[in-house]
Amino acid sequence: MEELKKKAKQALDEGKIDGFLGLKLEGGEVSPFFVTKDNLAELEKLTAPDGRYSLGKILTRIAVKNPGKNIGVMVRGCDERAIIELVKASQLGTVKVEQYGVACNAKTAEKCNCPQPFPSHIDFGEKAPGVEHIELLTRLEGLTPEARLDYWLGQFSKCIKCYGCRNICPVCYCKECTLEDKNLVPGGIVPPATPVFHFIKAMHMADRCIDCGLCEETCPSNIPLRTIYRHMRKAMHDLFEYVPGRAAEDKSPLGALEEGGRLVH
Amino acid sequence: MDYKTVLTVCPYCGCGCGMYLEVMDGKVTGTLPSMNHPISEGSLCIKGWNAHEPVHSPKRLTKPLVKKDGKLTEASWDEAIGKVASELTRVRDQYGPNSVAVLTSAKCTNEENYLMMKLTRAVIGTNNIDHCARL
Amino acid sequence: MSAENTFEPTIIGFLCNWCSYAGADLAGGSRKHYAANVLPIRVMCSGTVSPHHIVKAFQMGADGVLVTGCHIGECHYLKGNYMTAKRIPVVKELLSFIGISPERLMLDWVSASEGEKFARVVTDFSSKIKALGPSPLKERVHGRAKEESKASA
Repeated sequence: MEELKKKAKQALDEGKIDGFLGLKLEGGEVSPFFVTKDNLAELEKLTAPDGRYSLGKILTRIAVKNPGKNIGVMVRGCDERAIIELVKASQLGTVKVEQYGVACNAKTAEKCNCPQPFPSHIDFGEKAPGVEHIELLTRLEGLTPEARLDYWLGQFSKCIKCYGCRNICPVCYCKECTLEDKNLVPGGIVPPATPVFHFIKAMHMADRCIDCGLCEETCPSNIPLRTIYRHMRKAMHDLFEYVPGRAAEDKSPLGALEEGGRLVH
Repeated sequence: MDYKTVLTVCPYCGCGCGMYLEVMDGKVTGTLPSMNHPISEGSLCIKGWNAHEPVHSPKRLTKPLVKKDGKLTEASWDEAIGKVASELTRVRDQYGPNSVAVLTSAKCTNEENYLMMKLTRAVIGTNNIDHCARL
Repeated sequence: MSAENTFEPTIIGFLCNWCSYAGADLAGGSRKHYAANVLPIRVMCSGTVSPHHIVKAFQMGADGVLVTGCHIGECHYLKGNYMTAKRIPVVKELLSFIGISPERLMLDWVSASEGEKFARVVTDFSSKIKALGPSPLKERVHGRAKEESKASA
């Protein structure tokens, strides 16, 4: 981390970047923070902890208010995938993003259940092997449809409609969210329209989810959301060989007005 | 070009979920859960997620308002508090202490809620007191 | 001897205006006999049929959803049906994973001159849904869906 702090400080001093977004450790608490020339001393608190926040999403909020600036970001595996998706969706076009790649250690990879705990370009840290515990996914895929439906309806009945999964998701950027459409998800009812609410999110995640797991982490009802989105990612890969977060040049088949797909009976 | 996160506690119910208020250029613009908080463990309910909204809302009251001739008009604090005191006294004296009920709020401090309780029981003379978290 | 299946499915059919709906009209005009289980909804293009519409149909109690559009290469809007062809398999995957049989959703291409094909597609699909039985979502959430639509009114 010391090297990253030095490099970031140097970049800020030289004017290579106007601001640096990362995670800080202060009083035992991990939180996102932003450093400019005005508060360089804050860089001392920079950390790459077990805890995560959607730095990509925070970056879009900073980008909107500060067009034309150069912004440095500490990116770990998940952050890089999120930024790739946000760039694809033209959410970061107003700023120039300078990525400082940090690889996660094995402990963090295990805690996050992360298949790719490193960015494509690593500036700091040692690459640790990916982790992919998919026991729940495998178990559910082996159940009968009736048992699966019972399982999911039971899970969805716990939903308190906090919108946490949507709020924390790094690739959920829409200003007018379908989950708030009164025709699809009527207001004033908890649990929300079942299974419509979760179905909508899952369909939107199919070609956007970067498998960071923040949705499942923040869900107050412990609904295994990541498992659904992992299944959708697998489906997109099997049907179209499309993987969200892999490369900014990729185009989602569900968005691109071109051939593909087939008749299914 | 200023962004910072401020650790705080959700002002709504008694749960006390840990959260960060996002402050951009001096304005409170968003909320994030505290991911490793021992109580909330990274979750927030819908009220918590939107705790930042009332802060800069144009609908916020900035001055006391007193109804005069059926219309809410700006008044001084002295006038407003005086009106509340005189009216509560009038209702209590005219209809008895149990005609008054008091509802306190999770947005108040424990000390403020204690004062409300004392005011209700000792001054107004009724035990019709409850708290919004009980609803 | 199995009991006679008296279940009559309710199927929502999204028919594209330019080809499929015209094909349906032709089926009617030619006095073709076909199952009466499909409630047709005319959409301008099969590409406008969103996963939201499909899941909402199931949630409101549909036993099956049929989406028909122009043949590939003949879409009135040139590429709309490409989107449909890509989208429907993904919706089926999600339906299947949630526990709703993906066979309850069907996509086919029916052109304006294919009145007979329309009749055949509807009849075959209705038989298939009849054999599958009522949608499992119906008993579990349909009651709530009614409550929800009242609340939003």
